[in-house]
Amino acid sequence: MIVELLIALSVGAGLFGVGLYGALSQTNLVMIVMGVELILAAALVNLVAFWRYLHPDEPAGQMFVLIVMAVMAVEMAVAFGIAIARFRVRGSVEMEEARELKG
Amino acid sequence: MTVQMIFLAFFGGAAVWFGVVVFRTHSMVRSALALLFSQTAIGAMFLVMQAEFLGVLQIMMMATEMSVMAIFMVMFMMDPGGMGKMDMTHQKRLSLWAGGIGLLAALLLVWLPDWGPVALSVPGAHEQAADLGRELLGRSMFIFQSAGLTILTAMIAATMVAIVPNAEQGK
Repeated sequence: MIVELLIALSVGAGLFGVGLYGALSQTNLVMIVMGVELILAAALVNLVAFWRYLHPDEPAGQMFVLIVMAVMAVEMAVAFGIAIARFRVRGSVEMEEARELKG
Repeated sequence: MTVQMIFLAFFGGAAVWFGVVVFRTHSMVRSALALLFSQTAIGAMFLVMQAEFLGVLQIMMMATEMSVMAIFMVMFMMDPGGMGKMDMTHQKRLSLWAGGIGLLAALLLVWLPDWGPVALSVPGAHEQAADLGRELLGRSMFIFQSAGLTILTAMIAATMVAIVPNAEQGK
């Protein structure tokens, strides 16, 4: 059973690496959000694996998964709100053109 | 090699592969669909790990979320179909290094520790759902309610940010 745990956690690590690459390399706000979604998905996989293979009798493990899902929904809603506002003002959601936000 | 191991590796591989496809394709609609398939494969992994409620929830929620994302892609992208093969990346080398180092560090954290004894069985789906309900409406009620309130706040904030300024000022 330890092999199954290691497979699940390795998948989480893979998703984290891919998501980190995507969040850093993309210039479009929506694509950056996709990278962050993958990073959060990695956290979900790890949480379910920990619950299943280490503490299956503890429902708090599943509760954490629900909280991370809520974080994913919140992150997407806020990012799309910002994207709409940005698109209205600049006509684009390219982050290369948002250098003025640096201050 | 157990059946669970095979399915876990299959769906896990699919999740990571579709995650890579998200950033490899030029078409933004394909990117959104690849992310949908990646998240669905993760939902299937949950089902393999006998977390039925979370698996179904993940698949349903992500199907909706990624459909919305695909609509936003078509709305906001200069070349949503990817016909112009535009390059929409920057700092590629740094990103590859960061992603690679993040992956290696996470793999080391996974493979080096001794995880101790592993549970062989889990409660049934019905019992899991009942336990989760008791947890959410008992010990973790404050956290659960805070999450609900956070979602409500985010919905209001996102709507307010997206409102046309002129309409807001009553012009």
